[in-house]
Amino acid sequence: MFVEFFYTLRKAGIPVTPTAFLRLQKALDMGLVDSLEDFYVAARAIMVKSERYFDIYDRIFARHFYGVEQEEDWELELEEAIRMLLDEWLQDPKELAEMLGIDPASLPDLDPEELVKYFLERLKEQTERHDGGDRWIGTGGTSPVGHSGFHPGGMRVGGTSRGKSAIKVALERRYRDYTQNTRLTSSQVGEALRRLRHMIPAGPRDELDIEETIRQTVKLAGEIEIVFRQSPRDRLKVILMIDNGGWSMEPYVEVVQTLFNYAQAQFKDLKIFYFHNCIYDRVWEDPQRRHKPFPTADFPRLDPASRLIYVGDAAMAPYELEHPQGCINYGEKQSRPSIEWLRFLAHVFRHSAWLNPMVTFASDYYSQGSYTQREIANIVPMFPLSLDGLERAVHHLMSEN
Amino acid sequence: MNKRPGRNSFEGTSTYVVDPELAKIVNISIALEMPLLLKGEPGTGKTLLAHALAENLNMKLIVLNVKSNMKAVEALYQYDTLTRLNDSRFSDSGRDVSDIKNYIRMGKIGQSFTAEERVVLLIDEIDKADSDFQDDLLDVLDQMTFDIVEIDETLKARHRPVVIITSNAKKDLSDPFLGRCNFHHIAFPDPAFMRRIVEAHFPNIEDRVAKACIETFYKLRTLPQVEKKPATRELLNWIRALRMDPDFDPKRLEKTQDIPFLGVLFKKSEDFIHARDLNPYSR
Repeated sequence: MFVEFFYTLRKAGIPVTPTAFLRLQKALDMGLVDSLEDFYVAARAIMVKSERYFDIYDRIFARHFYGVEQEEDWELELEEAIRMLLDEWLQDPKELAEMLGIDPASLPDLDPEELVKYFLERLKEQTERHDGGDRWIGTGGTSPVGHSGFHPGGMRVGGTSRGKSAIKVALERRYRDYTQNTRLTSSQVGEALRRLRHMIPAGPRDELDIEETIRQTVKLAGEIEIVFRQSPRDRLKVILMIDNGGWSMEPYVEVVQTLFNYAQAQFKDLKIFYFHNCIYDRVWEDPQRRHKPFPTADFPRLDPASRLIYVGDAAMAPYELEHPQGCINYGEKQSRPSIEWLRFLAHVFRHSAWLNPMVTFASDYYSQGSYTQREIANIVPMFPLSLDGLERAVHHLMSEN
Repeated sequence: MNKRPGRNSFEGTSTYVVDPELAKIVNISIALEMPLLLKGEPGTGKTLLAHALAENLNMKLIVLNVKSNMKAVEALYQYDTLTRLNDSRFSDSGRDVSDIKNYIRMGKIGQSFTAEERVVLLIDEIDKADSDFQDDLLDVLDQMTFDIVEIDETLKARHRPVVIITSNAKKDLSDPFLGRCNFHHIAFPDPAFMRRIVEAHFPNIEDRVAKACIETFYKLRTLPQVEKKPATRELLNWIRALRMDPDFDPKRLEKTQDIPFLGVLFKKSEDFIHARDLNPYSR
């Protein structure tokens, strides 16, 4: 039974190791687990090492030990069911109003969305108040949800709480929030980018150089001579190329801003260029892209050991990438297509990466991205601008090859 | 190894209310002699758990506050070359310069290994240091031994310390490291549990004050677009502040435009402004 449970967890994508499983067996042998409740807690603490998997664990536990089928997200299901029923209810507004505890006269003021929302909130209140009650809402035996053929068995679970049996705890699904990706905060960006650095001695001589101190002291026949040296500081050169033009980047302003702020605070030697859509004959040093153009052909003048990071959605029409006159700014004369420039820069800077804020289908730009994303990703390795993506990008940028 | 749970079990203290689930996990980790890694929002009592545990089990607590540039070896021991050099020149310290052992100083982990009795070792905010730091500690925590290269000796823990490790990071620690720990994520307490925590800290708090504060607090937590949500620590400080204020009346929380001492709850200036402008009562 437990072995099967173990494999079910693995199959669901929780990285459970055999060592952890054996350790769980040890805990069982030692008599540390007396009940299924203990088992729920112990198995999770020993085998599941990230809160991101807690929700999957809860669901699998419920299914494995109690046979509860919970494939769908019950709240969504619930909402859908209510929507379906809404028309039916509205035929008898008086009953509905009574049920929700609002004035029948105000009912027409609520649009269906509000009504559903109101109902859901009301529902939450009720389940909290009637701890362990069977019915969710309404008095007098009319349970509108009941006669729709919708299964309350799969849904009631969210409400009754504090009973604290393992099944209830598992079904509360308290960890659902942790499975979702939340907003990227600057501290997270900092965490991810922290490894992006190159330490060389710099700054004041404030670190004791033991080797040299001993050498000099011996030279002076034991008269102590203390030698200080510079401590290692970060001197990594970073070039940031930001796509700040066009409506397509609009939704990502916030996340790019976070990255930008961090980069400015963190990197001592940072050059920032702006472009619109893709790299053409010139990029710009001013965010307005008007006053300070910088010829793309001049990039070899910069240190080739710099890390070149592009930030952009890489979403454009194919001709904008591949046609010699593809520049989105009409009237700018081009010498070669954008894709050639990208190849050129990839050749100049050995370490480059593209961060893409379009993280929705972000796991693999090479196979799932749009045409231009795929083409660009083949030249510049592309990573989603998420915590995980940043980390992989940093790893790539700091690797030797 | 053969210790049964029960003798060494953890139940929380007068000011630290422990969730039964967490208590179980702590007890299992102690029995299995495994480090316990705790994650969770800042201010949910990860560090306090170690303090409460030490108090509860009547053991000494040794705290290793991890810093960003910390090397693992610093946590183990340090070879004090400078003192030795000084002694070799002036030889008035009474120490035997020819014996390197006199110049080995134990770091926090080293202290926990050499302690006379079993101790609780708290490795606080391990995510602050490089991943190298974690990697270097792997074997140390697994085998509970480390080598002192200068004197070519292996130091073995006299008593395996109870190890609690905390991390604030959203990202995971390295897999090999996780493999050697038990894990728990301290979920944010629900209002009923929060009430118990509040009462543990303010035993004589009035019912309506506690109720009003907790209610307002949970509402403020649901404000959208707040980067650092107020946590238990902030709530307790806030209640403390409110109780110091002689003019405070819990009704104020229901009715007035502004919630007093918002700065105790929201510490980032953007969040503060956001909360002040968006808070549902100020409309």
